[in-house]
Amino acid sequence: MRKIIVLKLFFFSIITFAQQNDNLFIGLESNSQYYVDDEKTGGFMEKNRFRSNNYLKIDYSISKFSFGIQAEGYEPMSLLNYSPDFNNSTIALYYAKYTSKKIEATAGYFYEQYGSGLILRSWEDRQLGINNALRGGRIKFLPTENITFSALYGNQRSGFDVSDASIYGFNSELNLSSMLKAISWNLDIGLSYVGRKEENNNTDFNFNDLTNAFSSRLNFSKNNFYSSAEFVSKSNDAIIIFDEIRNVKPGSAFLFDIGYGKRGFGVNANFRRIENMTFYSERNATGNIYNQNIINYIPALTKQHDYLLTNIYVYQAQPQVSFQDFALLKIGEIGGQVDLFYILKKKTTLGGKYGTKIALNMSYWAGLSGDYDYLNFEYDADLLRFGKKYFSDISLEIRKKWTSDWNSVFYYVNQYYNKRYIEETFGIVKTDIFVSESTYKMGAGKSLRFETQHLWSKDDRKNWVGGTIEFNLNSRFAAYVNNIYNYGNDDETKRIHYYNFGGSYTKGAQRFALNYGRQRGGLICIGGVCRFVPESTGLTANIVLSF
Amino acid sequence: MKQPLFLFCLILSTVAFSQKSIPNSTLRTLDGKFVKIQDEISNDKITVLSFWATWCVPCINELDAISEIYDDWQENINMELIAVSTDDSRTQKRIKPMISGKDWPYKILLDKNQELKRALNISTIPQTYILKGSKIIYIHSGYSPGVEDELYQIIKDNI
Repeated sequence: MRKIIVLKLFFFSIITFAQQNDNLFIGLESNSQYYVDDEKTGGFMEKNRFRSNNYLKIDYSISKFSFGIQAEGYEPMSLLNYSPDFNNSTIALYYAKYTSKKIEATAGYFYEQYGSGLILRSWEDRQLGINNALRGGRIKFLPTENITFSALYGNQRSGFDVSDASIYGFNSELNLSSMLKAISWNLDIGLSYVGRKEENNNTDFNFNDLTNAFSSRLNFSKNNFYSSAEFVSKSNDAIIIFDEIRNVKPGSAFLFDIGYGKRGFGVNANFRRIENMTFYSERNATGNIYNQNIINYIPALTKQHDYLLTNIYVYQAQPQVSFQDFALLKIGEIGGQVDLFYILKKKTTLGGKYGTKIALNMSYWAGLSGDYDYLNFEYDADLLRFGKKYFSDISLEIRKKWTSDWNSVFYYVNQYYNKRYIEETFGIVKTDIFVSESTYKMGAGKSLRFETQHLWSKDDRKNWVGGTIEFNLNSRFAAYVNNIYNYGNDDETKRIHYYNFGGSYTKGAQRFALNYGRQRGGLICIGGVCRFVPESTGLTANIVLSF
Repeated sequence: MKQPLFLFCLILSTVAFSQKSIPNSTLRTLDGKFVKIQDEISNDKITVLSFWATWCVPCINELDAISEIYDDWQENINMELIAVSTDDSRTQKRIKPMISGKDWPYKILLDKNQELKRALNISTIPQTYILKGSKIIYIHSGYSPGVEDELYQIIKDNI
């Protein structure tokens, strides 16, 4: 008991110190759940009904130095479906950093991204259970404001441990147009190298302990027009399928982007081809479901939809080589996306009094076509030809303000989701989804938002209907209730309501939220990276405190 | 259990906070230049720093709402809004067309690998800071329609 009082006093005094001191930042985040049995979806079969993920981060800076730690506690166990390596509590990260005008040096754990992340990205996403920070050292050198060099060496965080493999990185960025004193156009160039050295005792296949990856990229813009390209190549590395090395192949990625924007109109198109671009800091971690040990970042280049029913069938990028069976052979993906934003001006017939905002998005993704040899795990891919269709998506969003108190959004999505190839199960799902939402400002900070949505499909779980009501009492209190109902399911026992209700209190940077509901099993995707969450019912509490 | 009560008392007692300087992280402009956030903040203006992303609907609603009254704000007060995008490379390419298509008048900076977001311990967006010079004088998270009027009042009270 005394220990707890001492802990509380310590906590209290540290917070007070942080209040008075302008160089100390403290962040506390706690996400906990209490799982209950559910008569419709089944009893809770795991250990510990109460689970929580807790994070405490402390950063202190003095003159040119800064230090920090991050403690993490998963008590009594982490939330469902996080990596089993996240258990108990410990100081998970620490760093010391020196920053001057031209140099930045870090020892300890750090995050980094080269280019778009196709070659290297270490970041943290607590909802996804990803923290692949590198532990080692990094130096950045900025000789002029137009050139940056950076070099790093370390091991990648995995659970509370680090990978055996060492990671080497070197990055350079050059703003060519500034160096040439160009005014009307902008051009910058980047070059990176990432090496992963992991011992291998394999005798059947011949490949180096050190796998080398290179990235070259350029970004160009002039007036309203802009464009960028990135090319990544990865040297020969083991291909692991069904936990064994089957072959040795190189990998590559090519990303191209082009766009145009002027007042009231913007358009952007991107194209990407990736072949065998999974890059793990431990070969044995290939294909793990917890997103651990991943060195790079390959997000799905599709639109992030905002509504419950539009997030049931979500595309995940397919960079891996996967030879599941004779008829399911994957080595990468190819495809693209187009975004268009347009404002129908105020006081025109279609625009209305306040104008109308339109956003259109289309994407198309397919496998790589080529010659595949299933028995020998061998392949030879075509460069630009599209193979099996994996996914397509067209969405149209119309935002309309009717009066100063009312506005609405209308949203339509049409999706093609090749479940067989994306999830490696069975079937193709085609959906049409329509959403309509309106917000009414009631004055004095009060507002009410209500939303209805419907999904039509003849495949998989068939039709759904859903709705949300959200009420903001003022800038501090908010409450909501939502429900999606799978009424069209052929299986009567699966015609289930996935309801949720809850509220939040926010003041400054502090936030408390409480939610009770039944969660649909499926993918939670953030930034194009997904984590599978099982069906569950229970109470969720989130606390965020910042000092 | 006494724990929630303790936590609650703790929160109530920590109503005031000292004026911290914004961590001097490196961000990028839409042109690809590297800049330090403190160099982008003008000492003689009130700066509103708003963290958003192209996929965050309440963020877009907040910035849309402020864009409609931004001219009025700037007429009466010496202030500037900097919108810091926390988009990662999946959605970064959507920033330029979205801004043109929405006609936003703000300075946009990119926090490409969320360095500044992490340094400020931002957990959910939108999160908006009001700065006097580089000192944080007010923080607000989430968006409810009408809260931009509260922001305006606080800016006016602090010139």
